[in-house]
Amino acid sequence: MTLSKNQYTAFEDIVGPEYISNNPAILYSYSWRSGLYAPPQDFSPLFEAIILPNTNEEIQAIVKLCNKFKIQFKASSTGWGPYNDATAPGCIKLDLRRMNRIIEINVKNMYAVVEPGVIGTQLQAECMKLGLNCNQNGAGTNCSASPIIGHCGFGHLSQSGSYGERNQLALEWITPEGDMVRLGSLGSIGAWFCGDGPGPSLRGAIRGNVVPMGGLGVFTKAATKLYHWPGPMSVELKGVSPKYVPTSIAKDFLIRIYSFPSMDMMDLAQQKIGEAEIAYELMGFNKGMAASNIATNNEEMLELHAEFSKLLTDYCLMVIIGGYSPRDFEYKTKVLNQIATDTQGKSLTKISDDTEVAAGCLWRWLRATGSIREVFRATGCFAGEVGGTDVFRLMADYIVETAKVKQKMIDDKLIFNDGAPPFTQAIEHGHYGHGELLIRYIPNPANWAGMMDFMAKANEIAIKQHFGVPGHVFSDAQHDIYGPHVMNYHKWLRKLKKSFDPNGASEGSHHITVKE
Amino acid sequence: MGLEEFKDDMSACCRCSACKYVPLETLKGYDHVDICPSISRFGYRAYSGGGRLGIGMALLNKEMDYSSPGLLEIIYNCQMCGGCDISCKYAMDMEVLDPMNEIRAECIKRNNSHPVLDKIITSLKNGGPMVLEANAKQGEWASELGTKDYTKQSVQVIYHAGCRTRHDKARWPIAQQTIKLMQKANIDVGIAMDEPCCGGRAYQMGYQTEAIEKAKRNMEIFNKSSAKTLVTGCAECYFAFKVLYDKFGIKGDFEILHTSEFFARLIQQGKLKPGKKVNMTVTYHDPCHLGRQGEPYIHWKGHRVPGQLIVFDPPKEFRRGMNGVYEPPRNLLQSIPGLKMVEMDRHKEFAWCCGAGGGVSETNPEYALWTATKRIEEAASTKTEAIVTGCPGCENLFEAAIRKNESRLKVYDIVEILARAIL
Repeated sequence: MTLSKNQYTAFEDIVGPEYISNNPAILYSYSWRSGLYAPPQDFSPLFEAIILPNTNEEIQAIVKLCNKFKIQFKASSTGWGPYNDATAPGCIKLDLRRMNRIIEINVKNMYAVVEPGVIGTQLQAECMKLGLNCNQNGAGTNCSASPIIGHCGFGHLSQSGSYGERNQLALEWITPEGDMVRLGSLGSIGAWFCGDGPGPSLRGAIRGNVVPMGGLGVFTKAATKLYHWPGPMSVELKGVSPKYVPTSIAKDFLIRIYSFPSMDMMDLAQQKIGEAEIAYELMGFNKGMAASNIATNNEEMLELHAEFSKLLTDYCLMVIIGGYSPRDFEYKTKVLNQIATDTQGKSLTKISDDTEVAAGCLWRWLRATGSIREVFRATGCFAGEVGGTDVFRLMADYIVETAKVKQKMIDDKLIFNDGAPPFTQAIEHGHYGHGELLIRYIPNPANWAGMMDFMAKANEIAIKQHFGVPGHVFSDAQHDIYGPHVMNYHKWLRKLKKSFDPNGASEGSHHITVKE
Repeated sequence: MGLEEFKDDMSACCRCSACKYVPLETLKGYDHVDICPSISRFGYRAYSGGGRLGIGMALLNKEMDYSSPGLLEIIYNCQMCGGCDISCKYAMDMEVLDPMNEIRAECIKRNNSHPVLDKIITSLKNGGPMVLEANAKQGEWASELGTKDYTKQSVQVIYHAGCRTRHDKARWPIAQQTIKLMQKANIDVGIAMDEPCCGGRAYQMGYQTEAIEKAKRNMEIFNKSSAKTLVTGCAECYFAFKVLYDKFGIKGDFEILHTSEFFARLIQQGKLKPGKKVNMTVTYHDPCHLGRQGEPYIHWKGHRVPGQLIVFDPPKEFRRGMNGVYEPPRNLLQSIPGLKMVEMDRHKEFAWCCGAGGGVSETNPEYALWTATKRIEEAASTKTEAIVTGCPGCENLFEAAIRKNESRLKVYDIVEILARAIL
């Protein structure tokens, strides 16, 4: 399907000729496949046109036209993952990069309102000037700062800065039919402070398992919770990319990577650290991730990986402590040292003894800029098991189980051999957590077939061993696998989709479609 | 070289958008997050480094061809400033700018070129300059300086003014002051009254054959001289002589220095002493071809090791912008009494481009000016009085942007500032 001249002109009339294109070169640049879950095929189906809207009114008009013309649309912010892509002809792309305004940073009530095109770094940098911080998507600070865009938003900061589902406050939503809906307190009193009321709350209905991945209209503004920031207003750096060393932050913080003799001890340590509420960041961090993050190239990464393999077990935590005062810092440090002693945690000397490496890691992990090094530099592609969110230990155990399947892929030389240990995130100083398994591979048919086989086995483990619904569960196929085991939620999700999107205009292949 | 050689690099693009932004560790606020003028101006992903690699893959896979409508519009609306390359390599082991250069070269091979650039290349082939609006003749700028001609006389140092200086009377004072400063330091300097073009801009525009031919001819001329040092005040010439010629395997037995490096060294050696106060607050703009792209070329011949990891045999050292010329101009400015230097948000390896590179000044002057205006605004935000740089291309465009925007900012070449402190 190609847009008719009349259809193209109708869209062009909304945004102007500069902000719509069906130039083949532009279309191909949008269909180059993402490195996330990269299939062997280089290109996804072409969009019919790319539109760069700038206002709600433009988006509403575009969406209404899509319904009228029976054309699908898919909106995206930075457009990283495969869920930003078309899955078949007949779809137009709304690239929201022009909608990049920070609407408000409310210091007193500790929230910020952003449009989709604002990236995490921008919001964080502005918040830090005000003594505040925002959560960063673990995938990186290059992702949208909006809490309802970019998957679940688990990340390095989740211990103190939570994640998308919990951070999302009021929301402005253009529905799949083109209506503008303001949710939460915005819907009743025009304020952004609450996602659930006074006013209509559709948090669960809209977010589903892992946010709708572009399949349920367009989220044009969202408020996100902010948190206290114990560091400086800005961080001075020395050096040149890729080797920056912060010079003005280390004194306020302490960073450690601890290795534990067993999963039980690591679990105990994360529980105790959480209960003591001392950590600014707390994250299961394996040797492969540490090596990738510290190294500035793959050769160096291999050397570090070999070095760390001699020093670290498969059960490691990365901890960052920040002090709001010297006494606070001293107290937290003492508590951390005591917990490490009690749980037989052994500190990685590369971090504890090398101040430049420590300072570099500290800032990279506070800003979350090292994720691309961690997951993409090795092969250009990343997939793997994105676990669910539940009791920390349950999630960790799920990833440990799936790691056994990953080991089989390593043995078959289908993926990069970084060992198979899990990585986990503890959330909000509690017992809540999230786990993932990093898998890096070169996309070709054999590796992809191996990946699909792995995912099938990971699903089987999750279902048969009652680990809940993982974070990789989106799309009809995945929901149809899990739904029958979880109160037939997929049927309700599909009904919601049908209610909000009767014409199926909002391309839902990565969310859920209205198929029967 | 050819686009096919960079297939693995292009395949490694994960679409993360890092190429659009400055290295994100460095960001201190909402503003100045962008590093790529092209996507900042035109918006669509195709205009980013990653988008261009996607286009490269589509061309290699023959999903589209080089005559595809609208392709040149994207290919040539890029200054080839290399910002995307540096930001990508903060994390990744892959080339970005190299395949972009190869896409241009492939276009030229298929006679799918830009008519304005063809005109410039015709001038180059005929021994002329690579500037469209020359208002002065060869060597005229030096007619009253009594300088030696290195093609005829023995000298220790060659000074190469560059097309954008020697053919533009507005830039003559910079070249003239360079010679006077050298004379003050008793440097045995010579110029060529019939100075050849470096050819570097031809490479950026995709005319690789012409650039290599020019490099060969120039190196013959340089090698015939007795000079041990070649100094230029043009960042693009510097890049050509130091990086490109080396890349082409065309290397002479002499050192190549930018004027900022040369004079910073003389100051450090005590051969020049900036004694007069220059009471001014300035900011320094790193020209792309002196800064991030000015780092030495790293020769590597090998192959990617088969398997599930991007590593090379022998190991490949990527040019990540770490060794560009960043400190000499800053050291020089800081040696001047009375002068205060402030940094713009985007500096050194993640400096925003002036807008002039890649032939954009000629193919899309409006976009070039837009890019320069953004830089002028960034400079003005530092409360500086002047923007100092080391490239006539940057200076021309900054001056045009200042005129258009009625800014009170001044533009100086770094030599002009030094001359104030010494001459």
